[in-house]
Amino acid sequence: MSRLNSFRELEHLRQQLTKQRQSIATTVMVCGGTGCQASRSQEVVRAVRDELSRQGLNDQVRVCVTGCHGFCEQGPVMLIEPGNIFYCHVSADDAFEIVYQTVMNGEVVERLLYQDPVSGKTCRTQAEIPFYRAQERRILSQNRMVDACSIEDYIAVGGYSALTEVLRGMSPEEVVNEIRSAGLRGRGGGGFPTGRKWTECREAPGDEKYVICNADEGDPGAYMDRCVLEGNPHLVLEGMMIGAWAVGAQKGYVYVRNEYPLAVKHSDIAVQQARELGLLGENILGSCFSFDVEIARGGGAFVCGESTALMASLEGKVGEPRPKDVHTAVDGLYHKPTTLNNVETWANVPSIVLNGSSWFASKGSNGSKGTKILALTGRIKNTGLVEVAMGTPISEVVFDIGGGAVDGSPVKAVQIGGPSGGCLPVDKFDLPIDFDVLSEAGSMVGSGGMVVMDEESCMVDVAKYFLSFLQDESCGKCVPCRLGIDRMLEIITDITEGRGRPEQLDLLEELANTVSQTAMCGLGKTAPNPVVSTLRHFRWEYEAHIKEKRCPAGVCKALITYWIDPDKCTGCGVCLQACAHQAITGAKKEPHVIDVQRCQKCGICRSECRFDAIQVV
Amino acid sequence: MPQYVELSIDGATVRAIKGTTVLDTALEYGICIPHLCHVSYLSDIGACRLCIVEHVVNGRSNVTTSCTLNVQDGMVILTNTDRIRRLRHNLAELLVAQAPNSRAIQDIALRCGVTEVRYPFRNEDCVLCGRCVRVCAEVWKARAKGFVGRGKDRRVDYPFGVRPDFCKQCGSCIELCPMTITPCDGPMKPGEERLCGQCESQLIIADQTPGSCVWCKLGEGFGCARYAA
Amino acid sequence: MAPRTLEQILEGRRSQPNQLIEVLQDIQADYGYLPKEAIQTVSQALGVPLIDVYSVASFYKAFRLKPSGKHVLTMCMGTACHVRGSRLLLDQATGQLGIAPGEVTDDGLFSIEYVNCLGACALGPIIAENGSYFHHMTPPKLRKLVERLRRQQTEEYQNVQAQ
Repeated sequence: MSRLNSFRELEHLRQQLTKQRQSIATTVMVCGGTGCQASRSQEVVRAVRDELSRQGLNDQVRVCVTGCHGFCEQGPVMLIEPGNIFYCHVSADDAFEIVYQTVMNGEVVERLLYQDPVSGKTCRTQAEIPFYRAQERRILSQNRMVDACSIEDYIAVGGYSALTEVLRGMSPEEVVNEIRSAGLRGRGGGGFPTGRKWTECREAPGDEKYVICNADEGDPGAYMDRCVLEGNPHLVLEGMMIGAWAVGAQKGYVYVRNEYPLAVKHSDIAVQQARELGLLGENILGSCFSFDVEIARGGGAFVCGESTALMASLEGKVGEPRPKDVHTAVDGLYHKPTTLNNVETWANVPSIVLNGSSWFASKGSNGSKGTKILALTGRIKNTGLVEVAMGTPISEVVFDIGGGAVDGSPVKAVQIGGPSGGCLPVDKFDLPIDFDVLSEAGSMVGSGGMVVMDEESCMVDVAKYFLSFLQDESCGKCVPCRLGIDRMLEIITDITEGRGRPEQLDLLEELANTVSQTAMCGLGKTAPNPVVSTLRHFRWEYEAHIKEKRCPAGVCKALITYWIDPDKCTGCGVCLQACAHQAITGAKKEPHVIDVQRCQKCGICRSECRFDAIQVV
Repeated sequence: MPQYVELSIDGATVRAIKGTTVLDTALEYGICIPHLCHVSYLSDIGACRLCIVEHVVNGRSNVTTSCTLNVQDGMVILTNTDRIRRLRHNLAELLVAQAPNSRAIQDIALRCGVTEVRYPFRNEDCVLCGRCVRVCAEVWKARAKGFVGRGKDRRVDYPFGVRPDFCKQCGSCIELCPMTITPCDGPMKPGEERLCGQCESQLIIADQTPGSCVWCKLGEGFGCARYAA
Repeated sequence: MAPRTLEQILEGRRSQPNQLIEVLQDIQADYGYLPKEAIQTVSQALGVPLIDVYSVASFYKAFRLKPSGKHVLTMCMGTACHVRGSRLLLDQATGQLGIAPGEVTDDGLFSIEYVNCLGACALGPIIAENGSYFHHMTPPKLRKLVERLRRQQTEEYQNVQAQ
């Protein structure tokens, strides 16, 4: 494709591409995200393409490998338009039936449709599925007709028209004001008002400025950014271009974490395609705006999600944060003014420009406008990626979208915001997904990771898990983070292993307070949050561990015993075989017995037993 | 001509040269702010967090390290509020529990008001203050040693663990290291881990005059920058 | 694909200290670890002090200073995988192979690594092995996977011997 030298040429190309697509009768969209790829969606794509060739339908039917559709538990997922037909758990063997029945004859393949476990109803279209009905998919729906590796698809659905509007008729100040009025706040965790950040950067002295896309998404349990970047990299790039115009930057970086090879690959392809068309480089579309982007890979460090650590990493150094008494908007990468924003924040920008700030602010709550993508995971029926309007109550997300508890074990708590966030008990689920409300309640929206826990999760163990994670990821430079987290972990480990003393809870709280006030960076400052929130809402669990030496959820190994109920045991011997530590003895058809000395409480026997005879006491 | 700014520290108006840090200014005016990783002729990294102060902005107090905070006109700083003293105490307590077998660390802890330690004592021989790394890089420009690893496994080491031949063997790293002087009472014996409180007079001084410099023995012990100046 | 030479990897990046991490990643990808000589060469070529290169190599989890096993089992220890029992998988792996995370088995076949989230949370617990993702893993499934990889190795060896 040749370089576009003016707005008119872009418009012309868009019209051409749209016309080409008009002759397409059917579009088959297969999810190519990492999740569905793990379920072999590429084989599905190949099989469908082969079948279409065999039937001679290549001119009328398009196969689009899109980004994540969000319903990951049901993958590989396929969407067919027209008709909004939604198939789940698709395998390569289904290709023939899909092409013959649905594509050629317009009939659905019943067994591939989604069946709602709550109502029992079979859903023909995506719109009918409860998981999708309750969402507000402003960003994720833009994934739909776009093949992640095709700039033509992106242009055909209107891509880069926001950029055109900006370069053609908006001054940088006007762009910044639009973002300000929209009320967009950082989607990476900080929730800082984006308009204010852009203003600060714009007004900072200096001609050399940068914009950075933070795709270092390290919160365990969060994969929103991965999906947006994998599925629609041009959306993010366009946002960055608009931002660069607004603040006066000439160079941008997309910093992608090492563990996301597909996101790196797709971003790379997107940048090259944009350069080819002249959408990146000198005098974009014939305007005075010159801007280029480079993709950089992280080295495997959660702390590099912190802005100063990320910039250090871009400069080729260790990812150690530095004091932020002066904002990075003024003194950032190479000490130049830098606007660093999260993937999702950038992804919101084009639609704000096209539809206006009032449109953006029409959804959301008073202090938190727009929508938020959440990674809903854990012990619920429907896990996956969802997008809801800010202000939506947690209960709606967990029960209406998430479908409620799996296995009948009631939902107990939800951890929102990753390791920097906090746990909220089920009686607080009426709280909305809102930056300020959740912060006050001791949790935080954070990057949007929501992990749902049930009665079989021990909250003390959860706090221990997050502390171990943070201890592993701490850069180790400052005393409160390095030593403070270590000692908090020491105390919590004592508690989970039956050595807890009542005065340790007070010490734990005091230490948590000290770390949060004195740590140098966000990682350290928010590290105590899981401890503080679980102490606040689940103190009784800590007390049971300390006073009664008991783990109510049956998780902490030192405080539980595995026991075979002789009334239920049939002596089938399955557990004996499965035990990796030879801890089970028993004759055939006789109740078996666990030797507690050898038992490592790994749980394999319990998961293998078909008679529910093994219990945790 | 150096530019001067006026700021308020603990209610007193002081003048400082633009570009200097709050810590340097405070020390010059005889205000005691305990510190460990700060050495007057080396860069400041804000790692030990002992020099924290309250920086009052728009009615809100931000706790921040004074060694990385540059003086500004009209700034309001509080160095010895109850909040700051408690935080410093807790940080010093963490340090001494980690590496008690050093007179410097014990002296800092005492200066920060630590009398009992609520964590099990460990016996590390490095607190990662980074003085050795910085003197090697900034004064001798040898860069023979540095920080290696991350988090709990962070340590000071030579490349590949072997002292390189471009190490100038100047001995500065050893000279600046706070761990090289054993406590007055000798090394700790297992089962007898405690904070040395032998210098009763020093404890009284630390208690009664936490905010002003009295050229105490404790400062001498931890290499206070006021002594070095 | 044959690994690139250091020369090729360093091309266009000489005297650019900010390229350090990208260069090390390319070496890691092609050689499976960062050999000592490579680190020394990179230090000279990019103009970064040796201790700083060593520091970066030891800071980031992506880099290994020693060769890894032929099959690297990367276990996801993220929150979602954790509540689904990823700890049990780690115990299974370390028990079955007799090594700790970061180590290599004596026959050089396996090494265990853990990551703090692979980003495929709805499919947890996840184990990645040399680029392939195995989802909804359980200790018995892992045991079978290791046995299968071992068998594959024996077959390969036998095929080579037979030639």
